[in-house]
Amino acid sequence: MERTPRSSPIRPSTGYDRGESEDFSALRRLLLSPEQIQLNRLRQRMDTLVIGPQEVSRVLPDAIRLRAQQDNRLLASLLPITQEALALSIKQSPQLISDSIAPILGSAIRKAISRAMREMFQSLNQTLEYSMSWQGLQWRWEAWKTGRPFVEVVVLHTLRFRVEQVFLIHKKTGLLLNHVMAEGISSQGEAAISGMLTAIQDFVRDSFQQGQDEGLESLRIGDLTVWIEQGSSAILASVIRGTPPVKLRDFLQSTLESLHVQYSDSLKDFQGDAAVFLETRPHLEDCLQAQFVKKRKGLPVVLWVCSGLLLALLGWWAYQATLSHQQWTELLKRIAAEPGIVVTTIQEEGGRTVFHGLRDPLAVDPEQLLEEVGYPPHAAGFHFEPFIALTPEMVRKRAITVLQPPGSVEVSIEGSRIILTGESSHGWIARVTRSASAIPGVSEISLERLIDTDVKQFEALQVELEGQAIFFFPGQGRMPDRELVKIQQVKFILQELDEKAIQLGRKPSIEVMGYSSPVGTQPINVSLSERRANNVLEMLNEITFQVLKLSAAGKGVDPDVPSGSGGEQGYSASRRVSFKVVESGFPLRREVGARSEP
Amino acid sequence: MIQKKICMLGGFAVGKTSLVKRLISGMFSEKYLTTVGVKIDQKSLSVCGQDLLLVLWDLYGDDDFQKVRASYLQGASGYILVIDGTRKETVEVAGKLHELARKTIGPVPFVLLLNKHDLVNEWVVESPMVSDLSDQACLVSMVSAKTGEGVEAAFSALSEAMLKS
Repeated sequence: MERTPRSSPIRPSTGYDRGESEDFSALRRLLLSPEQIQLNRLRQRMDTLVIGPQEVSRVLPDAIRLRAQQDNRLLASLLPITQEALALSIKQSPQLISDSIAPILGSAIRKAISRAMREMFQSLNQTLEYSMSWQGLQWRWEAWKTGRPFVEVVVLHTLRFRVEQVFLIHKKTGLLLNHVMAEGISSQGEAAISGMLTAIQDFVRDSFQQGQDEGLESLRIGDLTVWIEQGSSAILASVIRGTPPVKLRDFLQSTLESLHVQYSDSLKDFQGDAAVFLETRPHLEDCLQAQFVKKRKGLPVVLWVCSGLLLALLGWWAYQATLSHQQWTELLKRIAAEPGIVVTTIQEEGGRTVFHGLRDPLAVDPEQLLEEVGYPPHAAGFHFEPFIALTPEMVRKRAITVLQPPGSVEVSIEGSRIILTGESSHGWIARVTRSASAIPGVSEISLERLIDTDVKQFEALQVELEGQAIFFFPGQGRMPDRELVKIQQVKFILQELDEKAIQLGRKPSIEVMGYSSPVGTQPINVSLSERRANNVLEMLNEITFQVLKLSAAGKGVDPDVPSGSGGEQGYSASRRVSFKVVESGFPLRREVGARSEP
Repeated sequence: MIQKKICMLGGFAVGKTSLVKRLISGMFSEKYLTTVGVKIDQKSLSVCGQDLLLVLWDLYGDDDFQKVRASYLQGASGYILVIDGTRKETVEVAGKLHELARKTIGPVPFVLLLNKHDLVNEWVVESPMVSDLSDQACLVSMVSAKTGEGVEAAFSALSEAMLKS
């Protein structure tokens, strides 16, 4: 502080003055000597000023900061030195630099690769998914027609929305801070687009007199939508194809807010150098979202049809395989059970199964077995050598073949014995007895259960004849006319008996027996009975028999009629003529189940 | 790369758009000028060893029908004031636009271009008429959008001034 003495007139110097001056000097020294010493030191220091490292280190950080705020000259000065230093450092210690940037680059590279792979797989998935479908074929046609890549056509048709570009724009200047694009999108003049977006916002804001905080939120043209998120210092413009969901807007807004927090100083001090905003790229890339139309759950119609056909084919194949297996099993079972067939080997020959072995000619035809079980005839063949089977079934079959029994005869086998049961003609029985011994495997034939129908009929005729009676009036030897009818009946029976006797090889005799009532004497009655028998015989001899021999005999009084049975009328049954069949001198006895004659 | 927003200012038909076209082939149609009132292009160049991206806001010429929107000037680092040497009235318009720019974005660098130098014989604008503007401009240049004379140099000068400011 400058001190100013109170007003003192200027006077000439005297001795008193000298003494006084010395006193003042002494007083000055006493009062100001410490300050004087300091001043002298400072002057000496200023004269020999050398700024040491310590002094520089104290002011350097603040000095750099202050200078950087003023202009870029410090940056320009340091840039070549820094570049050279960095180059030298990389050259001398590459490992050090590599280790330093590895954490940053590694993460960035991983993220980039992951993103590229994801996009590639998504594209590949879509391409594959739609390659074989009906819709895919339609799109292939469209791609061929329009000359666009198939993948592009698929993306266009399946895209629900896709953020294709994101602009981070400085709000005040409209300058572009950063810009990212989805894969396959090309763009140019991002800075100009950024400016135009800002200008359009300004235009709209001015036109409708909206405040600075208000802004255009959305633009839409065709399939493209531009969503503009407003921040205090920056705006985020997203170019979206398709229809984006509302939640995407929240995400974009959240991203912008996050960027504002992270880069608040840089946004505020932005002077056109967007280098610092390169780090926003990962955030912006996160905004490049996409969503594709989910494929309908389930298979497309064509695949349904193909699957159905495939399943039907599989079902048909399985059914055929099962059926074939069942038929094969049944065929084996039937062949094994079939009498007269012996399978020795089964071989595959020329694409079909061939059975080798022996077969009785009377055994069933194996081709018939194929038909019965439904096995394909072309899939099987038979090569059998003939042989004679002696199994009971085959012996019976052979017996039937040889004997040719009528339907009323049952043939059965017991060991080597043929048993015939039922009824048959006398001629067939005679033939059986001759030919049975010629059947292989047969040593005996049993006819015990076989009824000779001719014998049976002969006996029935015999019974019928012997039941006939021709009655006479008392004392009359001549047959009354009323009995003529019976004569005709007797003639008919005798003719049939004659025929049956021929079939049976018999030569029976027919005895015409006359009877009288006990009335009268013995001689008269015998004579009367003879006349009666002869009378009937005469009438019967009107026809000729081939083997029957008729004879008449007067038997006198009928012994079966008891005497004294009551008057002339009571003896009417004894005045008669009866018949008896006699063969080889003795009458034939009636038998039930007559045995055939050997 | 450093970006700078610059505005082309001037009266109606002074040749702003032609000057921009001399420099670059833009991607937007000129119809934006009459609709939105601005057409924006970008131009990369290197000034003093520094790569620079100029974002050119070509504002619609101020006339009775449409006024320059002040909001379009926001954030500009510099501007180019264009006068048609053959029309006196464009000097007055340039003065008004200069005032608008000063008021809106402050004292940022600008260059004053007297266009249509190829028609110099028809010029009616003389130096004293633009002395006020000339004193404040970092460059005053006579240019011709038709021949390209002085155009690139003018943009370079403005770029350099913006980098230094």
